[in-house]
Amino acid sequence: MDFVDSDRSRSYGGASAAAVKPDPARSSPPAARPGADSQPSVISAKIVVGGGFGAGKTTFVGTVSEIAPLTTEAVLTDASTSVDDLAATPDKSTTTVAMDFGRLSLDAELILYLFGTPGQHRFWFMWDDLVRGAIGAVVLVDTRRLADCFAAVDFFEDRGLPYVVGVNCFDGVLSHSVEDVREALAIGPAVPIVPCDARDRESTKSTLIALVEHAMRKSVATPA
Amino acid sequence: MSKPSDDDGDESFAGLVNGLSGGPWRSGGRRKRSATSSVAPQPVAADQQGPAQEQTSAAVGIFEWSQPAAAASVVRPYTWTGGRTAPVFDLAVETLVSTSEHGHDVAVLTREEHRAVAELCRDPRSVAEVAALLSLPLGVVRVLLADMADIGLVVVHRSANGSSNTPDMALMERVLSGLRRL
Repeated sequence: MDFVDSDRSRSYGGASAAAVKPDPARSSPPAARPGADSQPSVISAKIVVGGGFGAGKTTFVGTVSEIAPLTTEAVLTDASTSVDDLAATPDKSTTTVAMDFGRLSLDAELILYLFGTPGQHRFWFMWDDLVRGAIGAVVLVDTRRLADCFAAVDFFEDRGLPYVVGVNCFDGVLSHSVEDVREALAIGPAVPIVPCDARDRESTKSTLIALVEHAMRKSVATPA
Repeated sequence: MSKPSDDDGDESFAGLVNGLSGGPWRSGGRRKRSATSSVAPQPVAADQQGPAQEQTSAAVGIFEWSQPAAAASVVRPYTWTGGRTAPVFDLAVETLVSTSEHGHDVAVLTREEHRAVAELCRDPRSVAEVAALLSLPLGVVRVLLADMADIGLVVVHRSANGSSNTPDMALMERVLSGLRRL
């Protein structure tokens, strides 16, 4: 934590001021302007949980969430296709994408949301939506099906989103060494690889802590 | 099928709403009588509705859409949004909204969906939570919430993101210490 405090005054002195400034890329509602509402303002943060099908994303979210994981769906119209494109696709299952998420109240005014990425990679428009503003991502890896997480790793690398790799130990044991996994995934030495049991609360917690620490290190190294 | 222009989309949507409010088959029935008396059944319509309910080609698109799978709602979600798919302003999935004091006033909540959201957001909820708990698609909820914020029924909590769309250091510190306290 020491490095954070010292660096903060140097590189991030203006960070809190920047946080209340509306993003020029988004138009803000009148009610959202700071000071415009008298209620205490609650802030949310977001962490994305990625990985291949069956790697334990939903389990991970459910283990640490204070609510039973919720599922929301987005229709294809989110991708700016016209309303009529739905008419051309009577089979609704091809036009919706489900997304699991959980919630953690970290203090009275801070809520952390965990979003599992939609499994099918053709829904990358949802991934863009998810990574925007996220602290970072946890990529869950099942070492028996290592290739399943390549798409997630590629995506987060491409978007410059900080991520850690959680190697899911389904039987409580790590069947491959961390360095073997790193080599197999072709990821750089800076990316933390942590053993992780998605069913265990302490384990998922420490994976999330490893991610936030990594994101902070990365943020200090490359100030926005 | 080639992508129709926006104008076509609006017409189809208006047609759908009219069709729903007037009963799904009433207008179709009238068309059917005139259609069957003079012309052969339209192949597409026959596939969709069976031989007894042929439509003129103008109505085919509408009725394809108003014949969803059995589990789907009678009113299509975008009816609530007037056919709009883009919200007035951007809301992230994790953006928190809560009912404003104005929104607590039952008298101002004239629409059922506004009442449902106002009830749900007495405690701050994220856009994704509202969507999940109301069983509505995210895109619909975004339009709905943006509208409600626009008329002051809900307060949109400020985003924790700086101008670069990445969380600032102070927030990450809070998240970190919060996680450690768990």
